[in-house]
Amino acid sequence: MSLHQFLARRLVLMIPLLIGISLVAFIISNAIPADPTAANLGERAAADPKIVAAFREKWGLDEPLHVQYLTYLSNLLKGDMGTSIRSRRPVSEELGRFLPATIELATFGILVSLVAGVIFGVISAVWRNRPIDFIVRILSLIGVSAPVFWLALIGLILLYLRWDLVPGPGRLDPKLRPPPGVTGLYTVDSLLAGDWRTLRNALEHLILPSLVLGAYSAGLITRITRSSMLEVLSMEYMTTARSKGLREWTVITRHGLRNALMPVVTIIGLSYGNLLSGAVLTETIFAWEGIGRYAYNAARTLDFPVLMGVSMLIAIIFVLMNLIVDILYYWLDPRLRQA
Amino acid sequence: MRRFLVLLVVVSLGITFAGTAAAQGEEKVLVVGLSEDYKSLDPSRAYEPGGSLIHVSVYDTLVTFPSDSVGEILPNLAASWDISDDGLVYTFTLRDDVVFSNGDPLTAEDVVFSFNRMKNLKGNPSFLADTIASVEATDDLTFVMTLNQPDPAILAKLIFDAFSVLNADEVRANGGTDAPDAAETDTAEPWLMNHSAGTGPYIVESYEPTVQTVLVRNPNYWGEPAYFDRIIIRNLPETSTQKLALEAGDIDIAMDVIADQVPSFESNPDIEVFSTQSDTLIFLLCNQDPAIGGPVSNPLVQKAIRYAVNYEELRFLSGKGANNPAAMVPIGFGGALDPSEGLTRDLDMARSLLAEAGYPNGFEINFEYPDWNYIGTDFGIVAQKVQADLAEVGIKATLVPQEFQTSLDAYRSGRQGFSLWLWNPDYQDTLDYVEFLPGGVVGNRANWTDANADPEILALRDAVKVETDAATRNELFREIQLYEQEKGPFVPLFQPGVHFAFRSDLQGFNYNSQWRVDLTLLYR
Repeated sequence: MSLHQFLARRLVLMIPLLIGISLVAFIISNAIPADPTAANLGERAAADPKIVAAFREKWGLDEPLHVQYLTYLSNLLKGDMGTSIRSRRPVSEELGRFLPATIELATFGILVSLVAGVIFGVISAVWRNRPIDFIVRILSLIGVSAPVFWLALIGLILLYLRWDLVPGPGRLDPKLRPPPGVTGLYTVDSLLAGDWRTLRNALEHLILPSLVLGAYSAGLITRITRSSMLEVLSMEYMTTARSKGLREWTVITRHGLRNALMPVVTIIGLSYGNLLSGAVLTETIFAWEGIGRYAYNAARTLDFPVLMGVSMLIAIIFVLMNLIVDILYYWLDPRLRQA
Repeated sequence: MRRFLVLLVVVSLGITFAGTAAAQGEEKVLVVGLSEDYKSLDPSRAYEPGGSLIHVSVYDTLVTFPSDSVGEILPNLAASWDISDDGLVYTFTLRDDVVFSNGDPLTAEDVVFSFNRMKNLKGNPSFLADTIASVEATDDLTFVMTLNQPDPAILAKLIFDAFSVLNADEVRANGGTDAPDAAETDTAEPWLMNHSAGTGPYIVESYEPTVQTVLVRNPNYWGEPAYFDRIIIRNLPETSTQKLALEAGDIDIAMDVIADQVPSFESNPDIEVFSTQSDTLIFLLCNQDPAIGGPVSNPLVQKAIRYAVNYEELRFLSGKGANNPAAMVPIGFGGALDPSEGLTRDLDMARSLLAEAGYPNGFEINFEYPDWNYIGTDFGIVAQKVQADLAEVGIKATLVPQEFQTSLDAYRSGRQGFSLWLWNPDYQDTLDYVEFLPGGVVGNRANWTDANADPEILALRDAVKVETDAATRNELFREIQLYEQEKGPFVPLFQPGVHFAFRSDLQGFNYNSQWRVDLTLLYR
């Protein structure tokens, strides 16, 4: 199967998958024994049957469930994701505002964890059972097990309050205006606008949250890289490479690391998906208004259109991540290209 | 690769130079840290406390409170007012020197438009206009409001943000309408999110939902100009982040300080803390319907619970600033009983009441509550304390924590038998607390209705709703509260403390329970 065929098949398969996910999300959000009316109307308004009836009619909550679902699907096909009950703004517009913040943070987070994880993993495998290996293993254990909330607060207290190395919460200093929105990623937009001051500020604001967010994946990637490297290092082709007289560095990177990267790529794909969808705590502490907090607030106020929109978006992100991982396999493993 | 590295070096050098070269303005800026709770900056839809900070800076109301209390009604846009003898017609004379931020003069037509629009939008605050029958402008500066029944709380209601006066022409030009179908046809909200049309000391410069709201000084303000050129209200949803940002000096005020944080601020000379009791009332609800409430629907059992609870320890548990109201009217409202008149724990009394009710060995009951934390009060901890107190008189309460929305739904529809809840006032007048009486919003949730209530309390309720004489009102509220200590399905537990911390170089900080802090009066 060529790459094109493979891609086409995967993309077509996405359609039933997304319909299924929308159905599950819809059923779950409606099965909760709570009422969006109570969640969105004030004490007095909720006690007034006329206002409640008007609210239910306005948001289509008076229709039978299957009608609500079909209406949602047909609007979705027209590109209309509905309007948030809570903010009365279009969901697609809000997703467009919150998603870039999350993408920016998750991308820096995954870069941190990728760089740190692979380097530490290789070091730890090459110098197995030496002191450096133990240090790395303890660090990766901390990364995997320390609660994000705790890491974030410790990070803020030390790096921000005590040593003043990084700026406080938020994506930019309050006195700076966000760069003109092209992509919504402040780093990219300020670069496009040639606004160095904003770029620097945005990068500084990214340091601590991406370290905190990337800590878990960094720990995970270190451990996977280490075990995968150990396996590869014991292979006969490593001995062959060495006996050819190649430099040790070349042996480890070209012959070792490249072969050890397969499981790492899977983990990175999944981790990136997780970072994009599950950064609620990090986003809360760092006042980073991304998709995680948006989804959390929507769940709290039973904002159905937003919940549906976020579920669909996250599903798409995971499907795309898996697709990218599969493509990377193609690139990493020549055998797959021939098969 | 090498080319990339060179580029990287050049870019980072560029950034460094650009950063150092950027000039810092001389602007005076106030930065406020707040867990953003508002969803709209349209004052006619105002409902959340956070929004008051902005509305009170940007808009004016006809009358107002002093900045540090809600005990007195002062003139604001209205220089004076007359009330007809039957208490139904209010005639306001507007100041003649007021202009909107765009320079238009204020007229009575603007007031008519704003009141009608608020009512017809049928939003969360619209119920505040329920007693208003009609409004009209008899001339440019005379505004007449006619009520459909005497409403002793109406002037206090008019101070709420929702009665802010907007520039009718400007709002109309941006899609606004005060027509009866405004709920469907008014499209001014998006414009009001990034602009303002008020007479206050500031105007809205920008609002990025969930990020920050920026106000700039109104150049056409008719009164004394405010000190700060610009006010930035940043959304910092996590209280510990607010604390750190305040300590680092990145924000000037932290609006959501919780009791646990107060001691660590007190040792910091750069930071001042203001603590008082909030007007949030935390209470127990006993359902009057025996099918739902079971044993707690019995008036003797309800009274026994009021004697079994350890009020003092609950207050202590809630931390600094907390207080125990004597009945269902919180401390701070006119006519509230003095806290010293409150019930104190009496286990013998509670036991004998239970025996009299036919439960000498107590009973078992499910105790429902929303599992959440409100301004630093953890409902789970409060519920555990109540459970322990009740266990001492033989009442075995099983804790039933519920997801907030699920619990709210059951509470509002009157399906909870025995539960823990809170009430925040809708407006700053004691009349709001008749909702705890039969047929009131909270009364109904306990299934306490005209049908099953004593004629005595019904008579008191009906009298206080229309009484306008202050002394007689206070006497009626007193009788109501004494009744509530004896009978009725509610147990008042405590009012949690509310805390603000600010940089000590900030002057002019005052608190009132309507808008909390008037940012326009602050200076350095």
